[in-house]
Amino acid sequence: MKKHKKNRNVAIVGIGQTHHSSHREDVNQPEMIHEAVELALKDAGIGIEDVDALVHGNMELFEMVHQPDLWHVIGTGGYGKACYRVTTGGTTGATIVGVGDNIVASGLHDIVMIIGFEKQQEGHTTGGITNMADPLWARNLQTGALTGATAEKTINEFGADRAKRAAMRLRVTLDKHASLNPHAHRNFGLDYDQIDDLMVNSPQLVGELRLIHMCSQSDGAVAIILACEEKAKKISKKPVWIRDHVTVHREETFNMFGINENQEVTHHNAARKLFGRNGITNPREYFDVFEMYDPSSWWGLDWLREFLQLEGDEHLKMVENDEVSINGSFPLNPSGGVISTNPIGATAALRVAEAALQVRGDAGAHQIPREVKHALASGFGGTFWTVLFMLEKDLDWQEAE
Amino acid sequence: MAKYFDVSVEDIFNTMEARFRVEGAKGVNAVLAYDISGDGGGKWLVEVRDDSVKVAKTDDLSGFSVKTSADAETFVGVNIGKIDGTQAFMSGKIKIEGDMALVAASAKMFTRYSLPKKSAVTVQGIFDTLVARFQPQNAAGLDISVGYDITGDGGGQWTAVLKDGKCALETGLRDNCAVVNSVKAKDYIDLILGKLDPMVAMGSGRLKLKGDMNVAMQLPKIFAKFEPPKEEEEQELIVIKRNISVDMKYSTGPVMGKFFEGLIEKKILANKCPKCGRMQVPPREVCAECRCWAGDMIEVGPSGTITLIEIIYYSSPDPLTGETRETPYAQVHILLDGIGKEETFWHLLKNEDLADTKKGDRVRPVWSDNRVGSVHDIIHFERIRD
Repeated sequence: MKKHKKNRNVAIVGIGQTHHSSHREDVNQPEMIHEAVELALKDAGIGIEDVDALVHGNMELFEMVHQPDLWHVIGTGGYGKACYRVTTGGTTGATIVGVGDNIVASGLHDIVMIIGFEKQQEGHTTGGITNMADPLWARNLQTGALTGATAEKTINEFGADRAKRAAMRLRVTLDKHASLNPHAHRNFGLDYDQIDDLMVNSPQLVGELRLIHMCSQSDGAVAIILACEEKAKKISKKPVWIRDHVTVHREETFNMFGINENQEVTHHNAARKLFGRNGITNPREYFDVFEMYDPSSWWGLDWLREFLQLEGDEHLKMVENDEVSINGSFPLNPSGGVISTNPIGATAALRVAEAALQVRGDAGAHQIPREVKHALASGFGGTFWTVLFMLEKDLDWQEAE
Repeated sequence: MAKYFDVSVEDIFNTMEARFRVEGAKGVNAVLAYDISGDGGGKWLVEVRDDSVKVAKTDDLSGFSVKTSADAETFVGVNIGKIDGTQAFMSGKIKIEGDMALVAASAKMFTRYSLPKKSAVTVQGIFDTLVARFQPQNAAGLDISVGYDITGDGGGQWTAVLKDGKCALETGLRDNCAVVNSVKAKDYIDLILGKLDPMVAMGSGRLKLKGDMNVAMQLPKIFAKFEPPKEEEEQELIVIKRNISVDMKYSTGPVMGKFFEGLIEKKILANKCPKCGRMQVPPREVCAECRCWAGDMIEVGPSGTITLIEIIYYSSPDPLTGETRETPYAQVHILLDGIGKEETFWHLLKNEDLADTKKGDRVRPVWSDNRVGSVHDIIHFERIRD
């Protein structure tokens, strides 16, 4: 496997996220972004004058504002700075961190702030996502991001009762995690004794994908400040190193539903590449925490298998045995995940931010109860894109190579 | 009557007819049933028909279009915006039976219940400041008691005891009052705030004075004017509403163009990769895996085998019309005859086949009579039952 060598090391040195809610009518878009920017600068202990460049991203079809980065300069503090505008669907938040990682690693800029945001109540989420599909054919058929295909696949493979129970158990576990995160948009106070009731009574959206399984539509923003090694060590006592990230994309996913079940999906492909070129042979053992982009509990369950390169029913067992809970051996989404908080353009960046907070030990009530040295964070979106990040506490992996 | 957040369940239903918005209920003919449990609960039927509404408390909820069940506190909380409705619904505190879309629609049919505006000034509030407003220099030598008998909602009885240049306030009426003011609470507040003239109030009998009129005339000097607490006006946050409607046109290009021409002639065309041999339908210009031009068109189907059914219960907007799609409906992925094993074809299933069609069943297209080269040239696929 070809090694992936960075020109220079890059660290996360500042993190700021807003209060997330279904309605942030108390602020307009630049005001909401300003909240996150201020918090990130404060966290890093630097001023906006120290930031060399911005990377700004969201999904334009939700708010129907073209080039929102121009309007948002009031909130981003980007006047007179290099600004990159990126939009890659649900993946946006991870792509902007990836762009930041690349332009700092390249030597082009020393300190870069990435900003992801969404105000979904200003538009129509499912309408917006439906308009992402090609207008010649798929747009007329698509129902946003809603699909019951993974539920059906899992039910066919493991039986209805076991599959439904595992997906709902994961749902309840992540609701419990969300209850520990003051930034989380939704938590319902669910408990495991509600699994049987919810499996039957939560309204169906598509097939066995039920309302309770699906992620929220949130308003909110996140800002993350990245710095080169030299600056990071000066700025931060606890820099979190972006060891590597990978992006994988494929087309024609709508045309492979129901067949070719052995075809490799982008999550599996991305993880295989990332782990391979970094010498990670047992990701379940190596990583202390995983912040996964989980748009629904069915996807969250299935994707554990894809990312961790698992065989058979290992991923179901991880959920059934509570290994994925915050106190388990492989905590998944201690923040509550996308299922609790989903301001889409910020969502994937929040995965990286939350994973970095875990590495720093600064996650607060949802900090996992042991040292976090290695963290994994994923983004997902579009017609199956994957962005996958590895974060490290110590800058010591080069020696291992 | 049990109140939650200062509002009873009855308050919500009793104001519903007044809160009805004709413009929000156009074309709606439905019976909304409410089963509210707990203290202050009950059963109500709200019938919306022909631009009018009828609200009735009842024991019999049969014949509803949609039924909402909740406990009284949750119901009131959601109606006045103190409890998040989605949250309550998701966690099972509100249960909905029947046509769920009507619940969302009802938000447009009625304006939100708002608490009747209460005056910030209360009788209690006035008396709370009475001692502080006492002007000893104007009460020198006075040794009297002044009684206040404030009647009605929010009223009460007080006695101000003036002695040795001091003022003490007691609740209740002393027997030895030099003068007693009798007035309704609302009128008393208006008098104090200067909205009601004392002479008019006396003349019309709304203010009654029993006892020494001279003492009564001195009272405005003995007590300084009541200053109502400044109300902090909450800023109304303006939301601008826009409905964007834009005419769009999309080029199909030569490859998709040929495919659409095929549909007009009731043919489904796929293209084949010259390198790996896989077929694509609808055809795409290149084989993304081999990265080569895939130009050859081959007719496939039109019948095929279902590989996946997606039954949609969530009603989303149709991007072509903006109209909300009727649910449930089903999308199907079909392995068309002659396509190989790499690619399914995506379309809709005939609604009548929804109940008993499954993966592996054979289907064929139902062609539109008016074919123009679009996805709608095929109305849907239907199950082959022979």
